[in-house]
Amino acid sequence: MKFKLNFSLTSIAAAALLSTSAMASDLVITFDDLNPDKAAAYEAAVEAFKKANPDINVVANNGDREAHKGTIRNALQNDSPDLITWYPGNRMGPFVDAGLFMDISDLWASDPNLSGNFNAIKPTMTRDGKQWGVPYSYYQWGVYYRKDIYEKLGLSEPKTWDELLGNCDKMKEAGVTPFTIGTKFLWTAAGVFDYLNLRTNGYDVHNELTAGKVKYTDPRIRDTFANWETMLDRCSFVSTHATMSWQDAIAPFANGDAAMYVMGNFSVGQYKDAGLTDDQIDFFQFPEITPGLPRAEEAPADAFFIPAKATNVENAKKFLAFIATPEIQSEWNKTIGQLPPNSEAAINTDDKFIVEGMETLSTAAGLAQFYDRDAPAAMAKEGMQGFQKFMLDPSSLDEILENLDKVQAEVYK
Amino acid sequence: MNTAATSTDRFSTSAGRMVVAAVVMLVCVVLLMLVSTTGMQGLLDLAQRTEARVPTFLVRISLIIAALTAAFFFITSHSYYKRNKVAIAPWMFLSVGLVFFSIYVIVPIFQSISYSFTRWDGLYDFNGVWTGEWVGLHNYKLLLDDPNFYTSLWNNLLWLLLFMLAVPIGLFIALFLNQTVAGIRIYKSLFFFPFVISQVVVGLIFTWAYNPEFGLLSEIWSWFFCETKTNIMGNLTRVCSPEPPSILGDETMATYGIIAAGLWPQIAYCMILYLTGLNNISSDQIEAGRLDGAKGWKMLRHVILPQLKPATFIAIVVTVIGALRSFDMIATMTQGGPYGSSNVLAYYMYDQAVGEGVGRYGYGSAIATVLFLIMLVYISYFLWRMYVDEMEAK
Repeated sequence: MKFKLNFSLTSIAAAALLSTSAMASDLVITFDDLNPDKAAAYEAAVEAFKKANPDINVVANNGDREAHKGTIRNALQNDSPDLITWYPGNRMGPFVDAGLFMDISDLWASDPNLSGNFNAIKPTMTRDGKQWGVPYSYYQWGVYYRKDIYEKLGLSEPKTWDELLGNCDKMKEAGVTPFTIGTKFLWTAAGVFDYLNLRTNGYDVHNELTAGKVKYTDPRIRDTFANWETMLDRCSFVSTHATMSWQDAIAPFANGDAAMYVMGNFSVGQYKDAGLTDDQIDFFQFPEITPGLPRAEEAPADAFFIPAKATNVENAKKFLAFIATPEIQSEWNKTIGQLPPNSEAAINTDDKFIVEGMETLSTAAGLAQFYDRDAPAAMAKEGMQGFQKFMLDPSSLDEILENLDKVQAEVYK
Repeated sequence: MNTAATSTDRFSTSAGRMVVAAVVMLVCVVLLMLVSTTGMQGLLDLAQRTEARVPTFLVRISLIIAALTAAFFFITSHSYYKRNKVAIAPWMFLSVGLVFFSIYVIVPIFQSISYSFTRWDGLYDFNGVWTGEWVGLHNYKLLLDDPNFYTSLWNNLLWLLLFMLAVPIGLFIALFLNQTVAGIRIYKSLFFFPFVISQVVVGLIFTWAYNPEFGLLSEIWSWFFCETKTNIMGNLTRVCSPEPPSILGDETMATYGIIAAGLWPQIAYCMILYLTGLNNISSDQIEAGRLDGAKGWKMLRHVILPQLKPATFIAIVVTVIGALRSFDMIATMTQGGPYGSSNVLAYYMYDQAVGEGVGRYGYGSAIATVLFLIMLVYISYFLWRMYVDEMEAK
């Protein structure tokens, strides 16, 4: 009796195992953003895909963004979905090198959208001469500022480093802290460093530094830090930044105690939640430091990848091609207030930040991902701790840079 | 004659049980193998129509339990077992625990020691092949040259030393509360309260209290050093001179801030240990001491404390363990920051290996190994102490 029971249970279980692999038209997607607008845009795209492909049974999962950074390792090695979100640039490096992402160069070559309208972003999706994922969104970085404070003090958007420093002096005279920032989670400081470095030394030095080809004690990087020290001195940051998250740092900005914020465009919604209106806030590109240097910008992208162990590769490629179309790209990014990587996709012209962002990025000489995506995670962690330490105590610069050189020598082996 | 007959009798029944047990065991093992390998085409055709998904692990677990039960009967029916019951029985009871202990504790210890000699980012490639490389003592050489490692080590020491304050403070509060007045139970439970709430909640409460913008401390600070002004946009803003301390944002204060938060529940724990200890103090000895003229400090030092020795031992043990478990407080309060200055070895290890995808598993393992060696000193002392106590008891 017992034997019989076990027997039937076993056969049912084994049948269930087989039937999942036997049904070829499944598609399992793992997404990593639970924020209401992000989740809504993703779900809308999935619905549209289901409508266009009624024969495919789509299983759309979604999870917390920070937790995803840990769980993706397991997902890629053991229990692979057919599509998974991850970051391009060097952040995808370890998974590409271990053969855990699928090479989709053929899709990039054959698909009319990917082959024609993604030229600006293609380099970041490329490693070893092959393409590994399809981006669904990206956004600009720059300086968000309180327009009303600028007007009250009779200031205008700075185009050069000296103009920025001059503005800062006037703000301090009026009792306004020029910049707000929250460095508790470190990466915000990397945004400031990246811009200072991009404007002091340019795009190539940024890439060589994050690729481990330029040392941190290099005189050019020291120039960047010298400029940062000037900025700390003349454009002070809010003093308690080490205990604040980037959201906490909005409070002094919204209250009018601080006037500027080096940030990504995803922050605009939070300014508005804090009570600021379009008339009160505006955006300018980080001003020029070294005259004549081609202007590069930060533009982190989010993308979908096919794990190498995916079972429904054809369906996954269908989905990638689907989200690369101008209509889906446009719809998705209108919902989340970001920019579509497809250059043919329409943008939301009612949103002045999106219009200005498109203008900023389409005229940029190069697009950087962000320090913690361009540099390997182990380097980025140490580097960003160094940036935070420098912001709190600029006199420890030598110690910081020498330590970063040591870590660099180890990480890039 | 009679005894021989009974023994053959017993043997025959045991043999029957042994055969049944062995058959059941074999069947379970075979089924287990069949469930694990999905190559059962014949069976599958039969059940193809059923769409129901039965989680195979449930089937596997029930099969394993059945096999183990059969094995138990098999062994207990054997004549060798019957002759050596007293020697074997404890090991049978221990075996389950030992199996799990070795799978989840012993084996991982040696695994992570072996990882510490490699450079590995924690990934297996597409074919399940390990992607690391052997680097010998390289990670340990790096450790010796890593300022973060020394910061973490020093913080570990600070934790161990300052956390010990929980023992005397707990004792003091226990002595204070060990009296009979109306409502003493309420006071006792109020003092015990922080131990009941989770470490993460304690961490959050203190993080907010320390916050220099809106925390409790900065509120108190603002009574003395701050004034409210109107800023350029006409909004009220607080101007302080000197600025309120940013406890968790300052490298010299962060660790002390977290230890203070950790002490709060730990004191409550020590207090409860001492309160139960005080309940068991023999009143005869106190009376005898009183007759001999002992009171106050002398009474405490020579009569009470010796009787509290077992409670003190446990309090010290749990406090050392608490200090080494500081991981969760650090994770909730500072994540090791600012710039790694409040790290301890356990958090630094996590940070390098698992956290945020940094993925230096080899290096993280090296840190873990050093932490293990340090703890080994303490653990050896503890085991030795237990051994001595056992010997004395005999």
